[in-house]
Amino acid sequence: MNIVARGWDDDDTLLAALNEALRARRAVPPEFVEAGKSAFAWHNIDAELAQLTYDSSRDSELVPSVRTESASVRALTFSSSHLTIELEVTPGSLIGQVIPAQPAVVTVQPRSGAETVVPSDEIGLFSIRPIPPGPFRLYCRTDAGLDVLTGWIIL
Amino acid sequence: MRDDPSVIALVARAGDGDQDAWDELIERYSPLVWSICARYQLNRQDIDGVGQSVWLLLVEQIGELREPAALPGWLATTTRRECLRILRAARRHEHAGLPPEDPMPSDHAATMIEEEVIAAERNAALRAAFAELPRTCHELLSMLMSDPPPAYTDVSATPGSIGPTRARCLDRLRRSRHLAAALAEQAEDIEVTEPRGEHRG
Repeated sequence: MNIVARGWDDDDTLLAALNEALRARRAVPPEFVEAGKSAFAWHNIDAELAQLTYDSSRDSELVPSVRTESASVRALTFSSSHLTIELEVTPGSLIGQVIPAQPAVVTVQPRSGAETVVPSDEIGLFSIRPIPPGPFRLYCRTDAGLDVLTGWIIL
Repeated sequence: MRDDPSVIALVARAGDGDQDAWDELIERYSPLVWSICARYQLNRQDIDGVGQSVWLLLVEQIGELREPAALPGWLATTTRRECLRILRAARRHEHAGLPPEDPMPSDHAATMIEEEVIAAERNAALRAAFAELPRTCHELLSMLMSDPPPAYTDVSATPGSIGPTRARCLDRLRRSRHLAAALAEQAEDIEVTEPRGEHRG
């Protein structure tokens, strides 16, 4: 390969390009890279991603009717194509509901620290207590075999 | 550079469950995701959120990527989409009732994505080439790139030897296999503007 790019045949230009390449990599915090690497733990786990589709502290849309009696409570909804997880933040705990209603096992995965497993009742209601202090996500596996993973939650 | 064989191989290995290959892809492309988030001026917490979504979507799809070589483009557009999602949610919060709006006009955004992808590939190739240089070259070039740049007299080697060593190291870098794709692509651009000439020397 004796084709030389314009610019890079000049030593100063090449050195400046290299400097920029290394600077761009240094600008990325190590934790950001580590989080990307650990995401691979989800390879071949048949979990669907549930995206945050509603957050009462951010979204101005009308609150769904089921929540009108508790409008002051922070509510979050995570949706995937097969399953929706609704969460309500109460002073001491986090109350969740799997929709369509069905029994499930919910795993609380904090970004750091040990996981907690919370079984739901027969209609998919569960309660997480205490509220995780740092970022966490929920991995929900229904008895029927649906797997859903929420995005990161910070309360 | 879209047909970089090393990326195609990494995507294939990661799709088969190889964590090392996945880690290499993350090392290679996290600056791309990061810098697009920075273009949208997201705060750190939101950038982390975008990163999580992008990597998890990639985990889901890596086995099915039809054109592994198009991965950087896929990452860039996915990152942009996730940035917009976060910005829209934030704007709804701050200015309830205002329609969501992309802070960048779409032709602007397309150019930005293209620029970021090209820069990311170029930078990744340069870093890979640099990593394979012999230790002396590594140390010398690192020293020359330090900020502020050192005076040549600070170097333990005799001043006269720095120039030739620097040139030799940069030449090694230039001839690295990692830069072949980048150089070839840039050379294609040159052919459009000037005939393949003998102007170098």
